[in-house]
Amino acid sequence: MERRVTLLVVVVVLVIVGLLPLAAMFGKSIIVDGRLTLGVYEKLFANGRQHWPPIGNSLTLATLTAGCVTLLGVSLGLLLGKTDLPLRRTLAVLLSIPLLFPPYILAVCWFNLLASNGVLVHVIPARTLELLSGWLFGLPGCLWVLVSAFMPVVMILTLFYLHAVNPRLEEAGMLIARWPATLRYVTLPTILPGILFGGILVFLLALGEVGAPMFLRYAVFPVETLTQFSAFYDFGAAAAAASPLLAVTLLVLAFERRYLREKTYRLRPTTPGRRMLLVPLGRWRVPALLAVSLLATAMVVLPLLALVVSSLSPFAYPEAWNKAADSLARSLVFAAVGATLLTVFGFFCGYLIHHRALRLWRAVDTLTLLLFTLPGTLIGVGLIALWNRPATGFLYASAGMVIFAYLAQYTALSSRITLATLGNVPQSLEEAAQMTGAPWLARIAYVVLPAALPGVIAAWLIGFIFCLRDLGASMLVYPAGQDTLPARIYTLMANGAPSLISALCVILVAVTLISLAILGSLLRAVGSHR
Amino acid sequence: MSAIELRAVSKAYDGRAVVDGISVSVERGERVVLLGPSGCGKTTVLRLVAGLEVPDSGAITINGSPVAEGGRNLVEPERRHIGMVFQDLALWPHMTVSQHLEFALRYDIRTDLAHRPARIREALEMVRMADRAQAKPGELSGGQQQRVALARALVANPAVVLMDEPLSSLDLELNRYLRREILRLHAELGFTLVYVTHNREEAADIGSRVIAMRPWQDRPPHI
Amino acid sequence: MSKRRLSFAVLAVVIGVMLWRALTPESANAVVVYVSHDQVFSEPILKDFQRDTGIKVLAVYDTEETKSAGVMNRLIAEKANPQADVYWANEPIRAEALRQQGVSAPYRSPSADGIAEQYRDPEGHWTGFSARARILILRQGLKDKPTSIQAYTDPDFKGKAVIANPLFGTTTAHMAALFAVWGDDRAKAFLDALSKNGVQISSSNGESADQVAAGTFQFALVDSDDVHSRQKQGRPVEGLYPDQEADGLGCFIVPNAVLLINGGPHMEAGKKLIDYLLSRETERKLAYSDAAQIPLHPGVDTPPGVPRLEALKVMKVDYATVAAKMQAIQPLLRDWVGH
Repeated sequence: MERRVTLLVVVVVLVIVGLLPLAAMFGKSIIVDGRLTLGVYEKLFANGRQHWPPIGNSLTLATLTAGCVTLLGVSLGLLLGKTDLPLRRTLAVLLSIPLLFPPYILAVCWFNLLASNGVLVHVIPARTLELLSGWLFGLPGCLWVLVSAFMPVVMILTLFYLHAVNPRLEEAGMLIARWPATLRYVTLPTILPGILFGGILVFLLALGEVGAPMFLRYAVFPVETLTQFSAFYDFGAAAAAASPLLAVTLLVLAFERRYLREKTYRLRPTTPGRRMLLVPLGRWRVPALLAVSLLATAMVVLPLLALVVSSLSPFAYPEAWNKAADSLARSLVFAAVGATLLTVFGFFCGYLIHHRALRLWRAVDTLTLLLFTLPGTLIGVGLIALWNRPATGFLYASAGMVIFAYLAQYTALSSRITLATLGNVPQSLEEAAQMTGAPWLARIAYVVLPAALPGVIAAWLIGFIFCLRDLGASMLVYPAGQDTLPARIYTLMANGAPSLISALCVILVAVTLISLAILGSLLRAVGSHR
Repeated sequence: MSAIELRAVSKAYDGRAVVDGISVSVERGERVVLLGPSGCGKTTVLRLVAGLEVPDSGAITINGSPVAEGGRNLVEPERRHIGMVFQDLALWPHMTVSQHLEFALRYDIRTDLAHRPARIREALEMVRMADRAQAKPGELSGGQQQRVALARALVANPAVVLMDEPLSSLDLELNRYLRREILRLHAELGFTLVYVTHNREEAADIGSRVIAMRPWQDRPPHI
Repeated sequence: MSKRRLSFAVLAVVIGVMLWRALTPESANAVVVYVSHDQVFSEPILKDFQRDTGIKVLAVYDTEETKSAGVMNRLIAEKANPQADVYWANEPIRAEALRQQGVSAPYRSPSADGIAEQYRDPEGHWTGFSARARILILRQGLKDKPTSIQAYTDPDFKGKAVIANPLFGTTTAHMAALFAVWGDDRAKAFLDALSKNGVQISSSNGESADQVAAGTFQFALVDSDDVHSRQKQGRPVEGLYPDQEADGLGCFIVPNAVLLINGGPHMEAGKKLIDYLLSRETERKLAYSDAAQIPLHPGVDTPPGVPRLEALKVMKVDYATVAAKMQAIQPLLRDWVGH
């Protein structure tokens, strides 16, 4: 009873923060002046032809991004997780850095690099620079930026799922064939569902991305929702404009659920005691190290360098601190609160899915994934549509709206991390506690949570990163005077000196890295204490 | 009145019957062993008695009180006051030996607060683990872990104890040693024991009665 | 109490305090202002108001790409439940649109005395101050400099010009003004000519200015403050006020506009803020700031590089008409951007 009630409460909260805002927004698209009408949809599809190019662009960009990210991410995941490549930990951390900030900042970095007075002007010939600069604005540049931004997703998933491969199976393979064949016929097929899930996730994230394509002047369909909301002040039309995107998202998630989800659930890391087999690279060690280092330089070091170099002016950092210290402090508080609530909330969602504790466990998983992949602006618009009423004014005017936005958008992360962690915690641990007479909440608090602690802490850290870097939804719902640092950076981009903007971005990245380093040490301390 | 009674209990997974219409009665203080190969449903029977699985049909009573009937549990596992030793022992890696027993007593309303420390000491001495009270499971040998699992199952003085292949992963010497320990504890405490194993020697040693089980699909045709 | 319980208790208290701080409504001695004007320019003024009056300013700022999107739509969405007291628009068209939507309340500030009627709503719903001009930003060293917005259609500049997305910001207002002054046919022909002449579309005026400064394009139509800020950064650009001939169209002036929100939570504080924003001193500060904005009060001290209003040939428009036109041409502009 206790379990059922708690999990139902979690589902209700998920519906309130995630589903109801979307429903409110779509409700406004079909109920106009108290009457049911499909007028906005008729209007949208009557002008269908003009929408095909941006829809085509969105699908092209998303497909190419997912394809490139999957190939690159899996290759890097294998090199960094499965071989004896030197410095692989350092390179893995380096290549993951783009996850720490929104993709539009990467776009800004590349603009700083390739502008005619940019960082590379003294290094690259002018004609080459002009050519590269031309490529930046359009599909190639957009693709490069999104690949850099989302590659860590597939790379990290590959690293994670490699631990699910039973080393005995690989050893059996090695008795018959060498490593390339073993990787091809044993390792990769085992983790294929996880890789495909990563690719699908990236496809959906790229499909909903707005900031970078807008900056790089590549017309994509999510801008249509933004346009409807801004130029026409029309909730209903904005919701209608989002419907093709939503339809594609639902279709892809349905495919994922039908063909992949069960297989992904079954991918569980092997017990910590089992050592993963590493592939010796032999004479390929140095070339592989060079190749990965070059890639890390191109994807991470160069843009970050551009950011740092363009921030180097005597007054940039003092001015940045003066302008944004309050929003930085707020961002850290909001992110900490958001991460904590996400961890609690996501834990129970993950528990519900793992144990299939309620009949609607599949719906919960799908809903959290859907919300994760929707553009943040859509979630923000939905939250305003639902909560902006006199009765809920106290909540609407508070930072609670920002927290709601985080919960709606990122529960899938903590839920899936919990799911993966619980897969490694034997069910008998909880059952043994149950047989002693302990009620459900006590079993969770004293047995399951401590056993799952590393995963819980990882969920908190990842929730913290994503809340800290969030822009889409929080930009629309933050209460007056309580903007977050990413929102502050975005607003200051209008006529703010480039050095100031760069300094603010460097501060955002640095604060995130420092927070992660401190919290990562805490994780190691807790782990060793256990 | 039997300690445990199963009447026409059935359980299926994904349409495949694992337990079909089983009826068993276990008297108080008896040591009943369920013997059979893998997949014959013996662990399922144990889990049904514990309440960790719900029978599709049939009825289960414990000490005369119905605990499962009509396709649902009438009494949840945490209220059946049954001690259980799991096949993988299910020791909590973050708790010390004495914390295991403290937790096992915390929700036992029959043991009052004042007597709990004494009860824990008794249980540790009973399994000869008093000198390792502050150790965590990772610091113990296989046999020591077994004894901790036994102590946890027995510390609250349950009337019924279930053991699911508790000795299957141990070497022969340790296995025999712990069988003697189980019998000694049974003689001291007098609980009703249902013990699952696929090992005939173990079954003959431990059980005062052995029930041989075989997979449902191996049954002779119904007449 | 065990160490773990103590830790949980401490953590619960800390989280509780954080949540309470986050959710507690702000004090009564505050004013909430939604700002479409660039934060780098507007924030110092608001901070001065806070310092001078002791009234805490809680601001929500817009972003470059969606000028008036986040803020405008919050205001309209919040009409039944207003959260803001004042709206500081970066051009009067949006203020006029809000007046038409019933979001504003009339307030005639004493500080507005001296500002011409053209820059004020007749019923007192909004008042203009500190204006930008829509001017051309040129790459330095250009041999043939454009002097009119018609240069966008000049084959000599084919593929060499960029314009900000006309669905957002001051570009929309400028387009609407052209439609109002020229008529629909001529304005549509102008847009078609832009497309044929390979004019690129950027996401914002700021981006257009950056593109010209980077040498990607030769000129762009932007706001005067965009030019000024790039010049201050030492970038190789200059500004030119277009269509200044005797028979020329004149440049489009875009004043800031301030309006009082109907039913806002702190209306008296809102009126004080409006008085402060419309004052000569604020106009002087904005003229001297990097915004380099043209005061609408006559006789306000300005630095070199910021012209006086009376020295410019100004496009004669009625902002209410322009606002109405802006709504009407949205589908056309969207089609044009799409193609």
